[in-house]
Amino acid sequence: MRDKKVTNKTFVMTAVIGSLLIMTLVTVKTLRFSKQTVMATDKAVSAVSSFYLEAMADRRAKTITNLISNSYDQMEKAVDFIRDENIGSQEELREKIGKVKGLLGLKRFALVDEDDVVYTQYTTYTGRSRHPFLTDGQLNDRIISTVSLYGSSKQLFLAIPTPDLYIMGKHFKACFVQYDINDIVNLLAFDDNGRTYFALYSENGGNLSGTDLGPEIADRNLFDVLKDIVPDEVWAVHYDNFANETEGTLSFAFDDTYETLSYVPIEGTGWEMAVLIRESVIHEQFRDISDNNIENNRNLIIFTLVSAVTLAAVLLFMFHSLSRAKLEAEKENSNALRNMATTDSMTGVRNKHAYTENEALINGQIHSGELNKLAVIVCDVNGLKHVNDTKGHAAGDQLIKDACALLCEQFIHGAVFRIGGDEFVVLLQGKGYDKMDDVIAETNRMIEENIEKDRVVISIGYAVLEPGDKLLRDVFERADQMMYERKKELKAMGAMTRS
Amino acid sequence: MKHNGNINGNIKIILLSGLAAMFVFSACSSAAYDTGRDNSGNNSWDTGGYNSGDNSGYNSADNSVTTGTQQTVDESGEEVSAESAVDFDHELDTYEPKKRAYNFYFTYKTVHPWWDAVALGMEEAQRQYLDKGITITYEYMAPEGASAEDQIQKLHTAQEKNYDVIGVDVADEEIISPVLDEMVDSGVKVMTFSSSDAAEGCKRLAYVGNTHNYRDGADLTRALCEKLGYKGKVAVLVGSKGAPCHEDRAKGAEDTIAQYGDMEIVAKEYDMDSVDLAYDLTMQILKDCPDLDGIICCNMSNPVGAARAITQMESHAVIVGMDHDEEALRYLDEGVIYCLGVQDCYSIGFDTIQTAVKIADGNPAGDLYPEKKDESTTLIYQKDAALILELLYGEI
Repeated sequence: MRDKKVTNKTFVMTAVIGSLLIMTLVTVKTLRFSKQTVMATDKAVSAVSSFYLEAMADRRAKTITNLISNSYDQMEKAVDFIRDENIGSQEELREKIGKVKGLLGLKRFALVDEDDVVYTQYTTYTGRSRHPFLTDGQLNDRIISTVSLYGSSKQLFLAIPTPDLYIMGKHFKACFVQYDINDIVNLLAFDDNGRTYFALYSENGGNLSGTDLGPEIADRNLFDVLKDIVPDEVWAVHYDNFANETEGTLSFAFDDTYETLSYVPIEGTGWEMAVLIRESVIHEQFRDISDNNIENNRNLIIFTLVSAVTLAAVLLFMFHSLSRAKLEAEKENSNALRNMATTDSMTGVRNKHAYTENEALINGQIHSGELNKLAVIVCDVNGLKHVNDTKGHAAGDQLIKDACALLCEQFIHGAVFRIGGDEFVVLLQGKGYDKMDDVIAETNRMIEENIEKDRVVISIGYAVLEPGDKLLRDVFERADQMMYERKKELKAMGAMTRS
Repeated sequence: MKHNGNINGNIKIILLSGLAAMFVFSACSSAAYDTGRDNSGNNSWDTGGYNSGDNSGYNSADNSVTTGTQQTVDESGEEVSAESAVDFDHELDTYEPKKRAYNFYFTYKTVHPWWDAVALGMEEAQRQYLDKGITITYEYMAPEGASAEDQIQKLHTAQEKNYDVIGVDVADEEIISPVLDEMVDSGVKVMTFSSSDAAEGCKRLAYVGNTHNYRDGADLTRALCEKLGYKGKVAVLVGSKGAPCHEDRAKGAEDTIAQYGDMEIVAKEYDMDSVDLAYDLTMQILKDCPDLDGIICCNMSNPVGAARAITQMESHAVIVGMDHDEEALRYLDEGVIYCLGVQDCYSIGFDTIQTAVKIADGNPAGDLYPEKKDESTTLIYQKDAALILELLYGEI
């Protein structure tokens, strides 16, 4: 199998393209899902609106049913209370009625005697014409009815028989309360930002609550309005539903406005609780939800994208840092190895290998003509064998170190190489080349002094690059020749030599 | 009597009724009617009807005339709305009662929805006094059928109790007025209210109600005559014998018919405020006079019984009548009844309580309250019926 080398570039490209691909897929998928959600929502609106409205109407209807039930219980307790008070005068009766009225929070609480005289907290009046239930003679059961006060709002009327109630020696046959329907409506109202409308209707579609069932129907008779906007057979069905105290739902349109109406009967009252919503409102609500979902998804995608890019950037940065650290470490190792290969371990100056590398480099420069100042100084330490033989290799090594030190001190602007056991080469360019003569003269003077001091003696020969030289070797050989001449000269001065 | 006119789509009772009151009040200065009874020249305020305080006699130069299109305009040419027939917008005046609690007794002619409407005006006044920290309690009692004897008994019973004021809707002015004088002489504060005042010269302290029954009867009759082209046979139905309001209206009707040579009254009957009796009487009249052209009804039960009979007999007789009975309004809506005179019962009740408080505090008639406080009557026609039905009875 052929292995492919994974480069940083490949890695980065793969990461970026992969991320973008994933993001694109996620985005497309999310948008498609959102659109499907909107479409499904739209399809569900009608069904949902019906359930929604029925639930709302039912909840409100139950509130009224509970109010009626509680009122009957309270009336029974109120009658028991009054019966137990042994009331002896009309003033006392009014006071007790007022007390009950206050406790029950009623606007009207009244007792009716056997002559159909009605007793309230402040008035006593003959009531047969005012309260139709009194014209029916004997009252045997609870009564629920709707009454319309002359010029006033409509009221819910609840009465109970009081067969055992006697006050001031007179039989009282009934007790009744009246609720202003406007007050009941206030119990039912809740803030839904005007999205739905509700109203109470009598069995013939008359608006009892005075509340607007939307801007089109308003507080008009429901069936008077519907007659013009729904088919006759539909109208008849719902008219019968009202008459038979059953529930129903219908949708209709006013111009371009579609509305859904649900109604439920309120037990025992003959009323229908109707709730209306404009379908456009439902659509808007669901559309708002969908828009929110899309917005959330979009934000999620952006967040994911940003997170992924950030993560990738961090990972790339970390990868890059690691690579660079590794590279630098390798470079350091390489430099160390390289130094080890080019440095003389005894003296610390560059060795024969380094000199060979430099020689190749310089040869190239000579060949290209870009080098014109070059001097090669060939040095040979005198008497090394003698020292080794007479004083030991350690002394010999020290001699070499001393020689190297002397050369490094003197040829501070030159490159010192140890190319053999007792052989050094110094290459001079630039400033070292310019001061070459003085430095060599000084060095030779010091060496000559060292003869007498029995210190390190170095034979130095030198040559400069001359026209016609093609290789460093050419210069080296002239310098080497001169070094031998100098060695002889130093021997003549008393310096130790191999021979 | 105001004649009704146009119906607007919206019910703006408060503003329109206020405007109507202003129009009519402004007309009072030149009012030209005389009921034939209200010529005492005493303090007589007008809150919406006509000033019966002047004694100029019946004058055809009415400051409110019915046009051929059933529209009503006042003397300035302004049309009056049906919504102003009953003024539900009342506030107590600035009078500060001297006591924190008052107890009144009121008795009226008979148990009937007309007086239930009066009662609602009373209850509103009572509620407003309560808001000011003043407790008003009262009894508001009537017999099942109009009866002067029953009223005397009730008054004697009430006299024994320490009511601040006793109010009476006089069942029969000849019988009741002396009783009221005796009560006043014995120190009882007595006032009259709603449909019928006591006889002229009675010592009662004040009257709040319709002071222009004669004119109401005349206006209804004139509307009928106009409808019939001032030609035909008519019957007059009256309520209780001796009831001033009913008798005055009948008198107004008879005097008006007498003005037109081609009009003839063929029957005059009393239903004693019974719808059933009104029906029976009308049936008999129609049998006796099958070509009857019209019926003038002087109380609340008359037009209901008459309309039932007319419907059953498929007669074309034109009915004009008084008051705002729900069934009568439905007949008006159906066109069986031609027009109805609607009295502002609510205002009568409200003003009665206000006046009673001032009387109880010992104030004489004059600056604080008039000796006679007139309330308005408005003629309404078929086109107004639905609105008035909704206004007074609601749709249930």
